[in-house]
Amino acid sequence: MDQSPLLKVDDLTVAFRTDAGVVRAVTDISFEISSGEVLAVVGESGSGKSVTALALMRLHPKNTEITGSVNFDGIDVLALSEEEMRSIRGRDVAMIFQDPMTAMNPVYTVGEQIAEAIRVHTATSKQAAWDRAVDLLQLVGVPEPKRRASQHPHEFSGGMRQRAMIAMAICNDPKLLIADEPTTALDVTVQAQVMEVLHDVQQATGSAMMLITHDLGLVAGSADRVQVMYASRLMETGDLDDIFYESRNPYTMALLNSIPDLEGVKDSLEAIPGNPPSLLNPPSGCAFRPRCSLAVDECAASDPPIVLVGEAHASRCHRTAEIGMGVEAMS
Amino acid sequence: MAKSTFDQENLDPEYFDSERYEHHVPVFSAGEVEGLTEAPQTFGWLAWKRFRHHRMAIIGAIGLVVILLLFIAGPMLSPWEFDERNIADRLQGPSSDHWFGTDEIGRDLFVRTAQGGLYSLRIGFIAAILATAVGTLLGALAAYFAKGTDIFISQVINMVLIVPALIVLSIFSKYSGGNATSLAIVLSLLLWTRIARVVRGVVLSIKEQEYILAARAAGASHMRIIFRHVLPNVVGPVVVEVTLLLGTVIVLESTLSFLGLGVQPPNASLGTLVADAKGNIDNDPIRVLTPGFFIVMIVLCVNFLGDGMRDALDPRSKNERG
Amino acid sequence: MFAYITRRLLATIPLLIIALYLVHVGISLTTDPRSGFYLCLPRCQDGFDQITEVYNLDVNVWMRPFIWFGDVLSGDLGTSSSIGEPVSEIIVDRGWNTALIAVPAFIISAVVALLLSVYSARHQYSKGDYLLTGLAFFGLAFPSFVLALLIQNIFGVQLENWFGVKPFNTGRKTNENFIELLRDIALPVMSLSILFISADSRFGRASMLETLNQDYIRTARAKGLPEKRVVWKHALRNALIPLVTLWALNFSALLGGSIVTESIFSWPGLGPAFVRGLNDADIYLILGIVLFTGLITVFFNLVADIMYGVLDPRIRLD
Repeated sequence: MDQSPLLKVDDLTVAFRTDAGVVRAVTDISFEISSGEVLAVVGESGSGKSVTALALMRLHPKNTEITGSVNFDGIDVLALSEEEMRSIRGRDVAMIFQDPMTAMNPVYTVGEQIAEAIRVHTATSKQAAWDRAVDLLQLVGVPEPKRRASQHPHEFSGGMRQRAMIAMAICNDPKLLIADEPTTALDVTVQAQVMEVLHDVQQATGSAMMLITHDLGLVAGSADRVQVMYASRLMETGDLDDIFYESRNPYTMALLNSIPDLEGVKDSLEAIPGNPPSLLNPPSGCAFRPRCSLAVDECAASDPPIVLVGEAHASRCHRTAEIGMGVEAMS
Repeated sequence: MAKSTFDQENLDPEYFDSERYEHHVPVFSAGEVEGLTEAPQTFGWLAWKRFRHHRMAIIGAIGLVVILLLFIAGPMLSPWEFDERNIADRLQGPSSDHWFGTDEIGRDLFVRTAQGGLYSLRIGFIAAILATAVGTLLGALAAYFAKGTDIFISQVINMVLIVPALIVLSIFSKYSGGNATSLAIVLSLLLWTRIARVVRGVVLSIKEQEYILAARAAGASHMRIIFRHVLPNVVGPVVVEVTLLLGTVIVLESTLSFLGLGVQPPNASLGTLVADAKGNIDNDPIRVLTPGFFIVMIVLCVNFLGDGMRDALDPRSKNERG
Repeated sequence: MFAYITRRLLATIPLLIIALYLVHVGISLTTDPRSGFYLCLPRCQDGFDQITEVYNLDVNVWMRPFIWFGDVLSGDLGTSSSIGEPVSEIIVDRGWNTALIAVPAFIISAVVALLLSVYSARHQYSKGDYLLTGLAFFGLAFPSFVLALLIQNIFGVQLENWFGVKPFNTGRKTNENFIELLRDIALPVMSLSILFISADSRFGRASMLETLNQDYIRTARAKGLPEKRVVWKHALRNALIPLVTLWALNFSALLGGSIVTESIFSWPGLGPAFVRGLNDADIYLILGIVLFTGLITVFFNLVADIMYGVLDPRIRLD
């Protein structure tokens, strides 16, 4: 990896002050994304994956403390003024949100909203922007794009709406696409289609993508690298194969064990016992300790270090080395 | 079906309450973080917010009590009678003899203001109670039995509201005698609609809840369901609404009385007192503003009380934080 | 659209008719236009008969409203006994005067409330927001007549006492020129506006806040849109939808409220005529005004319904 990464995040911490106290949604996360690469960020609800994304785009609410550094394409994102940030949003970095029904303005047509995204960043005439919007809709597989562009969001089906959102996100050829649970709000039957569109679009435009999801199944078909988060911490990161076949982190392994598997015969679905910890009062030491079947005393005493396992593979666990030597995680 | 302005029970401005948005959860994926607010989070502010609604209700209640005490106890301490005329002492400003001064025919204004205030309050209470009784009953019936009953009652409500309120009230109060009871009845004939709408909304939302279905499945009768499950949920919002209604009634009654269409002599209300004083307003504006001031104070206290109670009593105004 | 309008009218006009019927019967049962004549009979038999004729007093009370309905449909609203002119003329003349203060008050309060709402919502929790919310709360506690008297006194009389100027007229309607007209209507309009600004801005602020919380606002920001455009183009358009309904209801309340304001400022609108009619049991004038205001209410509610459908593409009026 001689070229510097597109996105370099170092020790990112995002904390909110709430009525009840300080909530650390993201704690000391560091990761990179290279140009054209697809990084999947996986975790349960509350793990901090969406918060990370919103922090990258600085779309977080006002009462937030962000520390650390975010370097995008050579720019220190956290130091930018709001004006400067605005010029990056939608142009160099674009986001696809979870629920397309609420994510689009109900009173304007889909075409208008896509065209608007184009015109705010480039000097394009109304007509040209509209035409491009129609082209984009066709690109993402919306049938009858001309007619559809003149319709309002509520006239689209869920899958088509999300395609339109994708069209809106890629309209200015962003270098980085952030897809925040793009299929969670969709019917299962439609999920695969939309993922395919996303995949094709990413391949065609060559943009990097940060795919946020809680669904490991989605990850397998689309990602180059995977990053697993739990309770605001980074648990493991690595290539697709590293994570799926050679995981060295109890949490990841527990997650993998809980994926229903068509091939093997299982007696029961393995759910991970327990619940994610409160982010207000996280347990001392490792956040996963209360639910971890490999926990030892050290896990309660101190934060586990990040242990490098391979060239691009790292796991945050006190017993990383042992796992590699055949200690199986049991759920 | 198109939404019509006449079907706007969800569009009650009262329930688009500014207080509700103090606790809004900012736009995050659901389940990521709970309890976020954008409010300034210094300790002092948090404590203030916690006590504020509580405090609002208490201030309102205390204010009302103080005013009531003044109106009841005041005249007892004063040597003057309500209708006692001392023409020689007429049109005096406030003095140690006559605390609020005297009017054109020498009547003591403090006693008149106190008695007038009590009269207004009396009308207000009676009207509020009547409106609540009728409104709750009709609203609940409309929501519970739905279909025909609902359409009928909703149309009655629409009809009552089709002509501007003050115009309707003016007509019916003018021709119904100017005493407290008939005025209260006339006012309640208009205002029951607000209560009915609120109750209808609450009952409709409860009806869909599963525990009602469960009770029906277990064989409970309508009456039992109404009394055990529906009414307890209705009480909270109704209490809030009635409190606020009191303010509206007082404003309406004093307006009617001011125009000469409400309370008639020899009775007096705060509205008639303003009207009496109006003639001399250029020279003696205070005399006009005093009863007006009391009206405003009463309404403010009532609104404080109602709004302050809303958080505690009305589940409809609860924020997502719960 | 045409079918929708027809349907809405078919749903509401009968209600108005029923209301008018009840008013007619109510007044007829409680008043007697011939009351002054009983003592002078049989001398004044002619006058007696005339009154009987005009008010159809020989017809059963419960049937009389239908005669009035018939007259109305043929364009005859009767003659006012208290003012002595045809009711329709009175309504046109006085109605115009009322419109002269009601319409500006409506526009001003709608615009000002909107601006205040946007400001309050954007700067939630700021000192300005708290101040405005507090003022609105305070403003809502004032009965219209107290406010009007206060304004009349401060801006009319006291201003002159303190500064020797009288920029606003306080109690008449001159027909001299436009400037005079502005001076005439300034205080009544101010009085009417303040109340509605208080009510509207509370509602508008809440509506705006709810809108600003929506996901699509976040999307708009994610697209890189300037904040101004996010607020004024994306948010406002949605926040306006419920607000428009409120404005329609406002107009109806405005008409009611102007009764009081016009009385205080001696403005020759429908208000004082109405009060006079009530005092004189002038049934035709009363009915005429009720009909007029009722129709206006129906009309504006219909307009609001249509606007709702126009502004919100999710609603199909059919």
